[in-house]
Amino acid sequence: MSAYRDDLAATGAALVDDGEGLRVTPPSTASLGRAVAVVRAHRLALHVRGNGDAPANAPSGGILLDLGSLDRIASVDAATGIARVEAGCSVAALESAARRSGCTLGPLLPSVRAGSVGAWLAGPTRGSRSVAGGRRQTAALTVAAVLADGRIAEGRAAPAKAVGPELDHLALGGSGDLCIIAAAWIRLHPATLAMPGAWRCSSVANAVAALQRVCEHRLAPARARIHAGPDGAILGMTWEGLESAAMERERAARILREICAPAPEVPPNFVREPPEGHPVEVDARWANLMAWSALGDVHLFGLHAAGSFAVLCLPEAGGAEQCAAVARAAGARVIAPRRLRDAGPGWEAAGAGAVWQRLVRALGVTA
Amino acid sequence: MTGRLPSATAKGKALRREIAALDIAASCESVDLWAASRDCSPAAMLWTQARLVPHLPDVVAWPENAEQVSALVRFAAERQVPVVAVGGGTGIAGGAVPVRGGIVLDTKRLVRPLRIDGERGSVDAGAGVNGKRLDELLAQERLTLGHAPASLRTATVGGWLATRSAGLLSTRYGSVADMVLSLTAVDGTGEILRTLDGPSAGPDLAQLLLGSEGTLAVFTEARLRIWPRPRERWLRALRFDSLGEALAAVREALRAGLRPAIVRLHDPLDTLLSHADPVHVPQPLKWLAEGAQAEALRLALKAPLVLNRLVDALAASSLVVLGFEADSEDDAAEEGEAALAICRRERGEDLGAAPAERWLASMHRALWRQAPLFAAGAFVETLDFATTWDRAEPLYQAVRGAAEGLALVRAHFDHAAREGCAVEVSLVGHVGAGNGEGAPVKEASAGLEEAERRLEAAAGAALSAAADEGATISHHSGVGASRQVFLRRELGEGMRQLRALKRAFDPRGILNPGKLLL
Repeated sequence: MSAYRDDLAATGAALVDDGEGLRVTPPSTASLGRAVAVVRAHRLALHVRGNGDAPANAPSGGILLDLGSLDRIASVDAATGIARVEAGCSVAALESAARRSGCTLGPLLPSVRAGSVGAWLAGPTRGSRSVAGGRRQTAALTVAAVLADGRIAEGRAAPAKAVGPELDHLALGGSGDLCIIAAAWIRLHPATLAMPGAWRCSSVANAVAALQRVCEHRLAPARARIHAGPDGAILGMTWEGLESAAMERERAARILREICAPAPEVPPNFVREPPEGHPVEVDARWANLMAWSALGDVHLFGLHAAGSFAVLCLPEAGGAEQCAAVARAAGARVIAPRRLRDAGPGWEAAGAGAVWQRLVRALGVTA
Repeated sequence: MTGRLPSATAKGKALRREIAALDIAASCESVDLWAASRDCSPAAMLWTQARLVPHLPDVVAWPENAEQVSALVRFAAERQVPVVAVGGGTGIAGGAVPVRGGIVLDTKRLVRPLRIDGERGSVDAGAGVNGKRLDELLAQERLTLGHAPASLRTATVGGWLATRSAGLLSTRYGSVADMVLSLTAVDGTGEILRTLDGPSAGPDLAQLLLGSEGTLAVFTEARLRIWPRPRERWLRALRFDSLGEALAAVREALRAGLRPAIVRLHDPLDTLLSHADPVHVPQPLKWLAEGAQAEALRLALKAPLVLNRLVDALAASSLVVLGFEADSEDDAAEEGEAALAICRRERGEDLGAAPAERWLASMHRALWRQAPLFAAGAFVETLDFATTWDRAEPLYQAVRGAAEGLALVRAHFDHAAREGCAVEVSLVGHVGAGNGEGAPVKEASAGLEEAERRLEAAAGAALSAAADEGATISHHSGVGASRQVFLRRELGEGMRQLRALKRAFDPRGILNPGKLLL
């Protein structure tokens, strides 16, 4: 242990014993790069944690890379709608800074909002969220990523590019396997008042069908909620956008006329009420959500034409495990809480298992 | 290799026989080799003009399904023969030019399956499906992909995937990378990869393959998101006294949540030549736009700095064309009027719908107007940079400043998003003395060398300026052969990631070698 400990000490990072491993806290991106190179050189097991992420211990004989000191928000440009932030910064802190500049990250899953920017981008959602027009898009305009040898690859911030494979996608959703996200350029939305609307539907399935129809007409709301009850379901939606929200709500109402009835008695904050019970977060297609229990409650974020991220809760369920089991039975992929997270089909399911192995050999950060 | 007419080599004939034995159509006919030796890049236009063939493939093959592509790639991998996939051949960066010979894998027979699923909102299309044909079939079902690149009539789905193509309507529908639900591709070992249409774990495989320009895998089919086809379109042209005000207006409209289908902002010269502005276009500029009066054109292009200064001296205004789509006229107009109000706040003058309609009618012809310019002894290079809003105007000024002594520079801004936009720059320059038709091979070669040198100088100056400004060197056309010199400046240490991807997907290095610095 002393050999790699000495090497890590030379990186400028703070070292603290953590069980049978070591907690390493680099003060800068350069120090992070040096620390990652040591981890790779000594083939150490590695966990990464940023501000707000769930508590974690260093793996036995390995390293907990604590990005807590890499939490600087370098800039928030409201006119362009871009924030430059280090990966250890909590999403909540970034949202606060964005709000102070009249911007927002937009509606996000509770687990995302509670964690760090790095965990958000490297995690199962790949930093994606809904954008106007029924599409999903990663929030990261580009990232700075620490490679296994400690060098830092940084993309150029542009709304789109065609300069070969989109290398940011080696980091996004990669769980730190191929590189560690050190910083990111994050897209911000202008903060505006949400325009709510609510409808009464005959069933959860009917409410999901209504929501799907709205999304397929490119009118996806910023967030939505389906609340099931014995007499059917309430569908609530909110739209955001300075000029667009009112228009989209009006057009959605026209589309929904044939499917469900307006429910003006539903309070405006219906969509924002926190989930009860033991919720689980899922990535689901409309068919998955349609199969959800008629007694469930669904909060939706990141809606797109094919489905949505959703928080599912069964108020009567004994625990999140039960809720997760029902969600899985409906075909959804559980992404939070972390202990219940489904691995999900990876590259092997796409026939690219051999490619993945070669890629890990070439770029893998850990042993 | 140079020569007036390409002819098959012994290697090519042997490859053709072996490929035919795999039940895959193949050819060494001169016309097929010639057609597969070029794309629509300005360099290729110069080769055509000089009747020279610098990069000849050995053989052209037409597999009809993923299994045949797999067999062909395995065959090539065993023999260490390059495989260069080509679709419609409309690339403008030399991405599909077989710079190291080998097999050109023409994807145009990869047209199965074609399944339109309106309920599900998806279409399954083979990589060889023609863009215009796909658009027509979707239109019959009142559906749309929302992808309308300038090359729509000739490009293929596979070509779009290979270059992360973006079209006229990208502000509303995104680039092709936003449209892909899943795809099938064959890697450099011949393995067939099928990405998942649904949640998956780990890095997004499809997003890593998109834009790889045939260097990591050959696309064979894709499932793409389709949408109800809007019934109505609202169009409007506006004039701004300054580029800065026009950029601010477009940015504010997008930041307000509006989603125009069409956003195009022309710089002063582009405004003059766009056929949409009522301002009188000076005759010399008309010649430039149309390739007429070859002698006068050549003379004018010998002094590009003077020409650019002349443009500066003309009344400078910037034209913005906005288009909104919806199912009803009222809905389209509602959004359009909201955008107009924002534009008026930025001192935009409403020119009405007619100039915008004229502009739209002429837009798709622009690409093909280049041929007369080349015939008249000019080159036309089109570059597409992208950056954030705060850097858009400085980028434009820097590129213009860098290239104005080497070519006439015109530009427009499009593919607008909330965070930034593309800056598309056209460079019209003089090719030099001897790239004309009918010259002896030796003289033609010398003339071509000079023409290519001039082209590279102008494009290089613009690309270098863009790289210095922190912009990306390609928004949607790819890097190909012509821009790759600047790739290292853009990617920096990311080149290590790119090379690792190459080793992982194509360990023998047979897929489109000599591109993307791979």
